[in-house]
Amino acid sequence: MGEDVVVRVAGLAMHFPITSGLFLQRKIGLVKAVDGVSFAVRKGETLGLVGESGCGKTTVGKCVLQLYRPTSGSVFFEGQDLCRMSEGQLRQVRPRMQLIFQDPGESLDPRFTAADIVGEPMWIQGKAQGPAYRERIAELLSIVGLAPYMADRYPHEFSGGQRQRLGVARALALEPTFIVCDEPVSALDVSIQAQIINLLDDLQQKYGIAYLFIAHDLSVVRHLSDRVAVMYLGKIAEIAGRDALYQEPLHPYTQALLSAVPIPDPAVEAKRVPIILKGEVPSPINPPSGCVFHPRCPKAFGPCPTVVPVLADVSQDHQVSCLLYPPSWPPSAPP
Amino acid sequence: MADLLQVRDLTTHFFTRDGEVGAVDGVSYSVAAGETIALVGESGCGKTVSALSIVRLIPEPPGRILSGKVLFDGADLLQLPADEMRLVRGGKIAMIFQEPMTSLNPVLTVGRQITEALELHQHMNRQDAFRETVRLLKLVGIPNADQRARSYPHHLSGGMRQRVMIAMAISCKPKLIIADEPTTALDVTIQAQLLELMRSIARDLGTATILITHNLGVVARYARRVYVMYAGKIVEHGPALAVYHDPRHPYTVGLLASVPRLDEPRKTRLAPIEGQPPDLVSLPRGCAFQARCSFYSGGCEGQALDLLEVSPGHYSVCWQGRKGREEWAKT
Repeated sequence: MGEDVVVRVAGLAMHFPITSGLFLQRKIGLVKAVDGVSFAVRKGETLGLVGESGCGKTTVGKCVLQLYRPTSGSVFFEGQDLCRMSEGQLRQVRPRMQLIFQDPGESLDPRFTAADIVGEPMWIQGKAQGPAYRERIAELLSIVGLAPYMADRYPHEFSGGQRQRLGVARALALEPTFIVCDEPVSALDVSIQAQIINLLDDLQQKYGIAYLFIAHDLSVVRHLSDRVAVMYLGKIAEIAGRDALYQEPLHPYTQALLSAVPIPDPAVEAKRVPIILKGEVPSPINPPSGCVFHPRCPKAFGPCPTVVPVLADVSQDHQVSCLLYPPSWPPSAPP
Repeated sequence: MADLLQVRDLTTHFFTRDGEVGAVDGVSYSVAAGETIALVGESGCGKTVSALSIVRLIPEPPGRILSGKVLFDGADLLQLPADEMRLVRGGKIAMIFQEPMTSLNPVLTVGRQITEALELHQHMNRQDAFRETVRLLKLVGIPNADQRARSYPHHLSGGMRQRVMIAMAISCKPKLIIADEPTTALDVTIQAQLLELMRSIARDLGTATILITHNLGVVARYARRVYVMYAGKIVEHGPALAVYHDPRHPYTVGLLASVPRLDEPRKTRLAPIEGQPPDLVSLPRGCAFQARCSFYSGGCEGQALDLLEVSPGHYSVCWQGRKGREEWAKT
């Protein structure tokens, strides 16, 4: 890992306790939402994080930003371990890492004007003074393609796409070097989606911001990401450069995910035979033994229910966690 | 092929405080027996309202079906008395909605919700209806169907709930299923399972399907004919292949260009449709798409919006639609 890494996550785990009882909150189990996740995001690059609902991708995003304090593991941001910082120390770092939410209708305060929404981070950081403040808001609005005269409008006066632009402007207010985008376009119509995707792309080119782009839409992720990580049940199944992952997916789950995405062309669709996975994602309270994917895996074989694979390099910058590939075998159980 | 359903000049408006909203404005389409068609468009284009109008589930007020005919099995559904309409709904025409959590009754077991339909439409007694329900739940791929029939909706996952909706929809062997965004709330691998299931069931039972969605990929996988809607009107329709490979309305061209495709080399930039969908209360004169159209020319305001045949069976309302993409690109 060189100088250019903005965020490095190592062995991240987030376990939520399940409690029972009204007063004596007994712990009766654990939801292992994230269980041993490691990756790095380099300066100015986008790491796409894909997976189905409940796989823990949003929890990873929140842990990276320390909105959840992880159970174990470390998150290095610009070389410092955020997990070992106090809230006061975190406040010094937070301006440089921001978050864009999924539903711009729910993530904007309906009683705030556009200027308040975009300016709130500056208030919190004590940077909202004098005429420079209004100027900065006007500048931010125009960066995201909104007109400065809209500054005094309320969220309900904007359309869905415009609201998401406000969410982006708010994230930009403190000139971050890293933004977690949590499903930023999935609530939008397709023609509007493309506008926001292009905006995120432009901002990265212009300001060199690194993104952790969390989404379930594999075609959108391919469009925006430089590297892609596929998550399943709290673990990373495969992580690789974009082209390697999409052209040569190695993990059976990645292969099934890619084949399940319908392609908008009836001629292509008529020839495709999608890999249909059996069953549904198991509960993270009681995950399957061995490889967590084995009950649904079309290629599962002998050792899969007992041996836990490790995420390992199969080729240059292509890591996979699957027993079909010898590097993934744990050292204690040689193939 | 004889048409099972013909919708002719259907107009449904909503009367709100802000004015009259032309949610569906002179829409016509047809479905042959056993055929799958798709209504595609973005939120607010009127695709759901047009389908709800067929089965007369428009809340009134504020909505009202102002004119049009819905010919189904030889009768005009819009003229049927309410008690006969109840026999059509759920019996001959079934519906699958987007969010199975809000369309299933939370205080009844899922089995009871299916037996209810069987008792009402098929005049079965409780035991027969329950046995049939278990058979249907097995058919849609629900494990332990016997126990599951006794579960409540919140016990089931989203995918399982949608399977229950499908079981309910096919319980009375309908001739037509209206599926409104049936897989939008689900994950891709579950979506693939359910689309495959719906396709095989429609084929085995000979059921016709109206698929309402905004997902162009799902349409390509599933539908033979496509109707593209924009601002309450059908702007283009035809065989799926023709519409996808040779779109003749600038909106369809824009929609297809704005989605990234997994089977093509990655583009460096997407081509979005600029601007916002128009306000249905105050539509511009002539074509509703003119403000966002990249092929706009001075003639667009005055044009009548009639569907013109651009190639056999393929229609577009764009007056420049005959030209096709190549000639548009030159202007």
